[in-house]
Amino acid sequence: MGRPEARAGVVGWGTYIPRYRLRVTEIAELWGFEKRIVESLGMFEKAVASSDEDSVTMGWYAAKSAILRAGIKPEEISAVFVGSESKPYAVKPSATIIGDALGVSRKRLTTDLEFACRAGSEAIRLNVALVSSGTVRYGLAIGSDTAQANPGDILEFTASSGAAAYVLGPAEEAAAKFEGVVTYVTDTPDFWRRDLSKYPLHGEGFTGSPAYFHHIESSVKLLMEELGLKPSDFDYAVFHQPNGKYPLKVAAKLGIPKDKVLPGLVTPWIGNTYNASALIGLAKVLEAAKPGERILVAPFGSGAGSDAMSLIVTDKVKDKVNVAPTVEELLSRKTYINYATYAKSRKIIWRI
Amino acid sequence: MLKNSISIFWRKRSNYYRIKLTKCRKCGRISYPARERCPYCGSNDVEHIDSSGHGKILNYTVSYYRREGDAENMPRIVALVRLDEGVVIPAEIVDSSPEEIKEGMEVEAVLRRLNSDDPYGLIYYGLKFTPVLNK
Amino acid sequence: MAKTYIAGVGMTKVGRHYEKGFKELSLEAIDKALKHAGIGINEIDYLLVSSAFPELTLHQSDIATILAQELGIKVRALRVDAGEASGAAAVALGNDLIRLGRVRTVLVAGVEKMSEYPSAQANAAYSSILDYEYEGVRNVSLVNYAAMTLKNYMERYGVSREEVFKWAIKMHENALTNPYAYLSFKVSLKRMMDSQIMSDPITTYDAFPICDGAAALVMVEESVASTLDGKPVELLDYEAINSEPPYLRGELTELPATRKAFKKLSKRTGIVVDEETAIQVHDSFSIYGLLALEALGLAGKGKALEALDNMPYLNHGGGLKARGHPVGATPLYGLAELTLLMQNSYPGLNYSRDISLLHTMSGHDNSSWLIVLRR
Ligand SMILES: [Zn+2]
Repeated sequence: MGRPEARAGVVGWGTYIPRYRLRVTEIAELWGFEKRIVESLGMFEKAVASSDEDSVTMGWYAAKSAILRAGIKPEEISAVFVGSESKPYAVKPSATIIGDALGVSRKRLTTDLEFACRAGSEAIRLNVALVSSGTVRYGLAIGSDTAQANPGDILEFTASSGAAAYVLGPAEEAAAKFEGVVTYVTDTPDFWRRDLSKYPLHGEGFTGSPAYFHHIESSVKLLMEELGLKPSDFDYAVFHQPNGKYPLKVAAKLGIPKDKVLPGLVTPWIGNTYNASALIGLAKVLEAAKPGERILVAPFGSGAGSDAMSLIVTDKVKDKVNVAPTVEELLSRKTYINYATYAKSRKIIWRI
Repeated sequence: MLKNSISIFWRKRSNYYRIKLTKCRKCGRISYPARERCPYCGSNDVEHIDSSGHGKILNYTVSYYRREGDAENMPRIVALVRLDEGVVIPAEIVDSSPEEIKEGMEVEAVLRRLNSDDPYGLIYYGLKFTPVLNK
Repeated sequence: MAKTYIAGVGMTKVGRHYEKGFKELSLEAIDKALKHAGIGINEIDYLLVSSAFPELTLHQSDIATILAQELGIKVRALRVDAGEASGAAAVALGNDLIRLGRVRTVLVAGVEKMSEYPSAQANAAYSSILDYEYEGVRNVSLVNYAAMTLKNYMERYGVSREEVFKWAIKMHENALTNPYAYLSFKVSLKRMMDSQIMSDPITTYDAFPICDGAAALVMVEESVASTLDGKPVELLDYEAINSEPPYLRGELTELPATRKAFKKLSKRTGIVVDEETAIQVHDSFSIYGLLALEALGLAGKGKALEALDNMPYLNHGGGLKARGHPVGATPLYGLAELTLLMQNSYPGLNYSRDISLLHTMSGHDNSSWLIVLRR
């Protein structure tokens, strides 16, 4: 029989990175940080969504590309889940807006998910379960965020905007098949945002070892144990990317070499796109991977939890890459803005 | 009080989320938007078709004309876009700048916020246009 | 069929009347018009009020009844709205009612208060003349069409930015002798060249100013006109037609509704207009004034600027550009200026032709109206 998730795979993927970039040295200068803080975070610049963009519009763009790569009609999709921690509405689903705007079947499972940065990953897990059980043929999973950060807080160096979307479907149509998926969660309060608060708060160093590292290491070890794999079996490893350093550090702890992490590392150039962070990294890897290669993906969300997934690339991947904008194309389309424009775009300037 | 009507947007959302055209079976002309009558000949023998959302800038202007609620998105680039289907539609161009915009530039439709009843009212989404990536 | 005459006209100075509301402005214009006609308010059978945005800028619906109450009269009262052409539509309706014998005297009052809110709100109100569902919602305003039209015009006919200001210069000069004009001062070409861009290439000197104003006409049937001491001017005929939205037309630099309406009107009445005919054209933006001259056959395509020098009676009151454009009242200002001219009581001008013509339109020739006066 094998694992049920082996019946599902990534049929299509799409990403979105806003055009505008802020060099993080500007943030350091403005708030009087010592300039080497930028190196300590492994950050160069972050992507900034325009004032008329939000997690719905970015999620729509990524999903449109994912459907194009899937080569299916939107009406064939019967589940839409959107993971975000920057929903435009506290109450009112984003998934209904995106679903209708794309022309997805109205007979669909639809909801928004919240689990800090891993709700988009949970959206994939749910769809994999629905596809494996035969409940749906195709499901859409979206991770999209215009991440907020308290101005002047260390989080502002990384919090950015972006989206990723995946169409999950039958393994035989997939560009990458699931080999196994596991999740590890605990109650760990490393990062949160209270109701009506504009910005999240966090435990700074506490977000590291008890949160990010403990959960990712636990889920990845669990996955390897269940699948009987060792670190060297993976050709690529993609982790949640809260900054430019943590993914490399967690890889080292797991015994995975740096060169398997670098192909999927995007945060130094676009920032932490929260729910899209690891998922944009995975897309970038898919766009470069060869059939037969094995990819480890381990998103993380505060609060806290991590999913670990193993995917095997198929020969269908090549035909899908250039059907929609690639991560490389989105990375290279960029225009630098200053802090003032960033502040206006992200509504940090208070207007009445 | 809300600046925008919930029901007007809701009723027309398929026209805001996608570009729907009217094809006249009588005079054969295609027009924007989806209407029940052909704007050229008045015939009600029409069908509605979806545009690819892809076209070229026919004409544009950089607008500093401020209406209430415009402040965050100024200046605006307002254009006439000739869709691949041959129909011309008025549209806002985003993710471009007065320096780089050109007539003939290839553009595609993207979902953006058209308007919003800030801070507590609805957000109204619809299509604007952006230069085609890597063209 | 009975003939219609304009027996009296009244105008208020166009401007930003912070001290006067729509009622005060309207009453001032109405009193002047009644006095000019030599008719008492109680002789009025019908009150027609043209106003484009009273709901948006004044929180006032049924403005005609409210104004009738303010006047202390008990009559049939109706508000007429045809966007920027509202005033022409009200006059056309009054004309039809008189010709049909339904009424003998009609008071037409046009009023607009655009200064009650800051300019961003006035601009939002003005933008409502376009199709809200497809243009308004998509953040398209009329000035954007005017800008793209001017751009096409300059490219196609090799006209420079500087040359186009010739229109505004002429309008500001014309406004100097108009006691009711808003912008009655001369403007140097340099100041125009340095003016703020509204929608590239249109600057503030290509556009009408936001303003308030009220104007009124007393229209009477022939038998009433013959009893009056003044010199009533006949309203010979009118025509109006609409076109598709600008984006569906394929060509911005033509005003098809104006052209068609004029063709019908001249065919029916046999009127001939030339450079020396008194003509008021709708120049909300200078480019529209130029295109109107071309649509009316007064200049070849791309040649309107050359024709300006030889048109002594073109927008003699300063046009929308310099007299001002209090929207619902604007066509009434135009007709009042023409009436005074034809009565030879307009300051500093003598006019000897038998006819004069008013052109007005809403938006980018979305609808166009023409009214012919004859003495
Ligand atoms: Zn037709």
